[in-house]
Amino acid sequence: MQEEYAIEVDNIKKSFRVYHDKGFTLKELSLFKKRRGYEIRNVIDGLSFKVKKGEAVALVGHNGCGKSTTLKMLTRIIYPDSGNITMRGRVSSLLELGAGFHADMTGRENIFINAAIFGLTHREIEERIDDIIAFSELEEFIDNPVRTYSSGMYMRLAFAVAINVDADILLIDEILVVGDAAFQVKCFNRLREIRGKGTTIVLVSHSTRQIEQLCDRCIWIHDGKVRADGKPCDVNPLYLDFIAKRGSEYKDAKEDKTKYFEVKRYGSGEAQVSEVRLLKNGEPALGFDAEDPCTIHVDYTVRECVADAVFGIKIYRNDGVLCYGTTTRAEHLNRIELSEDGSIEFIMPRLALISGEYTIDISIETGEEYPVDYWKSVAKFNVTSSIEDEGTTRMEHQWKLGKMD
Amino acid sequence: METTLERIEEIYAYREMIFTQVHRNLRGRYKGSALGFLWTFLNPLFQLIVYTILFSVIMQNKIEQYSLFLFVTLIPWIFFGTCMSEGSGCLRDMEDMVKKIYFPREVIPISYVVSQFINMLLCFIIVLVALLVAGRLTNPAVFVFLPLIMGIEFCLTIGLVFITSAWCVYLRDVKYMMTIITMAWQFMTPVMYSVDMIPGNLVKIFYLNPMTSVIVAYRDILYYQQAPEIDTLIIACIMGIGSLVVGWHLFNKLKRKFAEYL
Repeated sequence: MQEEYAIEVDNIKKSFRVYHDKGFTLKELSLFKKRRGYEIRNVIDGLSFKVKKGEAVALVGHNGCGKSTTLKMLTRIIYPDSGNITMRGRVSSLLELGAGFHADMTGRENIFINAAIFGLTHREIEERIDDIIAFSELEEFIDNPVRTYSSGMYMRLAFAVAINVDADILLIDEILVVGDAAFQVKCFNRLREIRGKGTTIVLVSHSTRQIEQLCDRCIWIHDGKVRADGKPCDVNPLYLDFIAKRGSEYKDAKEDKTKYFEVKRYGSGEAQVSEVRLLKNGEPALGFDAEDPCTIHVDYTVRECVADAVFGIKIYRNDGVLCYGTTTRAEHLNRIELSEDGSIEFIMPRLALISGEYTIDISIETGEEYPVDYWKSVAKFNVTSSIEDEGTTRMEHQWKLGKMD
Repeated sequence: METTLERIEEIYAYREMIFTQVHRNLRGRYKGSALGFLWTFLNPLFQLIVYTILFSVIMQNKIEQYSLFLFVTLIPWIFFGTCMSEGSGCLRDMEDMVKKIYFPREVIPISYVVSQFINMLLCFIIVLVALLVAGRLTNPAVFVFLPLIMGIEFCLTIGLVFITSAWCVYLRDVKYMMTIITMAWQFMTPVMYSVDMIPGNLVKIFYLNPMTSVIVAYRDILYYQQAPEIDTLIIACIMGIGSLVVGWHLFNKLKRKFAEYL
């Protein structure tokens, strides 16, 4: 059955002319024709996917990968050069909030203007206006001109209209950052409710947390094609891993499996850390789930023998909070004698960090706490999780319900 | 690409958007100004005064009640002229909406022209009062032709605004060119003078201008209180519908890339 799909995108292509210096006036168009060079950039290059009715799909990808262009084509603001897009049902897009608002007109009048742009009839708007006003929490101010509104009130009104359109297909582009925290929660809950009613949702977001909370599918678009398509918990780590690696490519194209950042490094240098790798089940990785196993593999080289070496490791969250730090000395391990090149592994059967971005410090010290090689931020990795817990680490735990005795 | 019927159906589905945009244009325009909506009437009245002083006091002519002779054509001309000079920018003015939201693009030029048309209708109330006061309402039956010629003028205008507003998206100069063209157009149309004053060998050329037939018909109905000549009506009708058809199709061709060029 074809009809089970709300959206069918079939091998679409779109290229833009990128002008080096774009001219819009007659003079520029005619006189400087030869001077105006341009290149053709294929933003979308054979993209195909289908979205079932009632599915909530997230589009992810780095900036410029074509996800916003795709969303614009789904909205029919721009059209593909070739290929077909089929949309079944009324489409509403939350690409631009408050379109057509007139500052001198009242909130109520602006609701009509804005809702009409989404294609609602007068009667449909009248049916919804109470819900819209209630959702915006602007009952007292609704008959005041919107120029008297604060920017938060303005956005609340705009979002309230857009969310009450009752579309069959809802397209959203990074707009879930409206109003204060309480209103954001309300918007988010509303989106979940809408999803529950069977509305098809396509969302572009950079927030992996939002995606995991709202969507049951995630499509990673890369260079105008689908690179991965699956559950958010499967696709997001791949994507985050890619993003992290891309960062390192600027520095060293060859060693794409390792991460070296601008680092502070000090120590006497008798022995040196040569490479730090993060492994998940033996494979290099930079994105982890909180429950994944993680091994930090450290290779070192030795120039002069170090009789009693102590290895240390510290894991920092990206805001500088130390999440965990330990050394071989602190754990009363045997003295390590470094006489030739080798490696050491720090094995975590369960990573147990909460969602976020982390950096690692690795140190080699002597028994007298004299630094041999201290390397800050030697590696960076991401943790994602479908569990919304907080703090620094996920403590081993379980919940047990019991009766009062 | 959609068929004409599908486009019309879709525009009809978005009728509330046309209503609210017209409301926004009319009510929003003079918001915050002291005289507000009164400007809708003051603007043509001042133009009327200036032209009357110029053409009946300074450059004298023999037309009786010249100010009325001018008034009945000036109001329809202001509608047309404003749409020509300002209307070409209507899509550009709504840039944010066109770039971010889907709706049938025709809604914007239609809303603009309808707003101006309503302004004209309101001004016609004053025209009728003036005719009544001056005792020129001798043959009210002739007013049956008024909706017809208004409809023709509306078709002509909307067709041209479809074309100019779509071109203006691709080439900003169109708006500035239209300002100059409109000024010249006004003087090449018998708004401030009568067709009889045109040298005989040029009359045919003047009738190539679609507004000549429209203005002549307005003046026949309102000033002379007589039915317009059937030839005039037919010419006006053909040109009005022609403009609408050409504009409608050209707009359809150009609208797909609006969001990329704005």
